Amino acid sequence: MAMASISTEKTRWMRGPSTPMRGALLGLLLERPGHGGDLANRLAARLGETWRVDTNDVYRLLEQLEKTGLAVSRDEPKRNNHRRTHLVYYPTDETSEALTLWMETLLPREPVRLGLQAKLSVAREQDAPRLLEALKAYERECLMLAQLVTPTDGRGRSWTALCLDCTRDAVYAQLQSEIEWTQRTRRRINEFREQPR
Amino acid sequence: MTPLLSFVNVGKRYSDGGREIHVLDDVSLDIDMGVSVGVLGARRSGKSTLLRLAAGITLADSGTIYFRGRDIARMGGRERGRLLRGQIAFVSSADWRANLSESVLDHVAMSLGSEGLTIREARRRASRVLEEVEIGAGDIEEPITSLVPAERARVMLARALAHEPCLLVADEPALIPSPSERDTFYALLRKAASERNMTLLMASEEMAALQGTRILMSIAGGEVVSTEARGTVVPMPRRAGAERPGQ
Repeated sequence: MAMASISTEKTRWMRGPSTPMRGALLGLLLERPGHGGDLANRLAARLGETWRVDTNDVYRLLEQLEKTGLAVSRDEPKRNNHRRTHLVYYPTDETSEALTLWMETLLPREPVRLGLQAKLSVAREQDAPRLLEALKAYERECLMLAQLVTPTDGRGRSWTALCLDCTRDAVYAQLQSEIEWTQRTRRRINEFREQPR
Repeated sequence: MTPLLSFVNVGKRYSDGGREIHVLDDVSLDIDMGVSVGVLGARRSGKSTLLRLAAGITLADSGTIYFRGRDIARMGGRERGRLLRGQIAFVSSADWRANLSESVLDHVAMSLGSEGLTIREARRRASRVLEEVEIGAGDIEEPITSLVPAERARVMLARALAHEPCLLVADEPALIPSPSERDTFYALLRKAASERNMTLLMASEEMAALQGTRILMSIAGGEVVSTEARGTVVPMPRRAGAERPGQ
C-alpha cells in the first residue's frame, strides 16, 4: 500500500491533458536550464509543427512543476540587460526520476480532431456540404503543416539525429493518418449523398 | 508567365468489366518552372494516372493538359515521345526495365542514344550524373544486376537526369526498405531538382517521401486538395470556361 501511495504521489503531475508538455519540459530542463520563453521556443522546435505551444501555457506549466518539486526557479539577471532579471528554471533532484517514470507510463489516447469530431457528432444531413468543406480545409491544413517540417538527408548518425528523425517521422505519420481519415470521411459522406433514396 | 504544366478540368476514366471508373474528375492545376510538387495518395487514388497524364504517357478523356502552353493531346505520338525522352523524364520503380547484361554506366549512357551524342560523350555525361547520385567510380562498371534497391533507385534517377529534363515526373521512385537510405535518395532528388531549377512532380503513398516539396497535394477518389506555397498559384478546382494558361 505504501508503494501505491508513493507511486500516486510521484505520478500526480501526470494528470490532465498537459502531461506531455510537462513531461517534455522536464526533459528540456534536464538538458539545460532556461527561462520560460527559451523553454517555450525549445519545446516548439522539439515537438514539431502539429503542436501548438503557447508561451503563457509554458509559464503556467513551469509554475505547476515548481509546486510539485520537479523544477526550481531563480531570479537571474538577463544576459542582454543586467539591470533586469527573469526567472530561470532548473531541474531538481527529483526531475530525472520523474522523467523516467513518465517514460514508463502508458500514454492515454489523445483526443484528436476535436472540433471536427464535435461537428460530426451533431451534424444534420443538410450540414453535409459544410462538413465536406471543413474536412477539405482540415486536409489542406495538414498538408500545409507537413510542408513546414524540416527535411532530412538521412545521413544523421548521432543519437540526437536519430531522435529528431523519429520525431519527424511521428509528425508525418500523424498528418498522414489525419489526411487518410478526412479522405475516408469525405468519401463516406459523398457515397451517402449519392445513394438512391 | 505561362506555367510549365497546366491541367484544365482534366478527367480520366477507365472501364472495368463494363463499369466505368472515374479515376480523375475535373482536376485543374498550374505548375510553374522550378517548383517541386508532392502528390500524396493511397493505392488506386489516381495519383499514378495524374502523373502519367502529366508526362504525356496517356491522354485525358476530358479537359486539356498544356506543357509550356501547348496542348499535349494535339501533339503527335512521335512528338510526345521526343518530349518524354528530352524535356520530360518519368521515373517509376514499378516500371524499371534494364538489359541485364549491361553495366551501370551503359544503362545510363545508352539511354542517351536519341540525343545525337557519341558513345564517349554519352558515357562521360552518364558518369557525371552517376557521380552526382553518389554511385562511385568503382561501381559504374559493375553489372546492373548487382545493384541493391537503394542503388537502383539512384541509378534510375541518374538515367532521368542525364537527359537534362525541365520536368521530372517521379511515381513512387524509391521503394527502398531502409528509411535512412530512402531519405538520402529523396535528398539527392531535391538537390538535383533545385540545382537545375527543374520542376519536380512526385507521387507517393508516404508523406515522408514528399518532404521538402514546395506544394503538397493529396488525391483521393479522383479529387485533389492542394496547398499553395510562396506565391505559386495552384487554384482548384477551376470550373469550365476558365481561361487557358498564358492568356
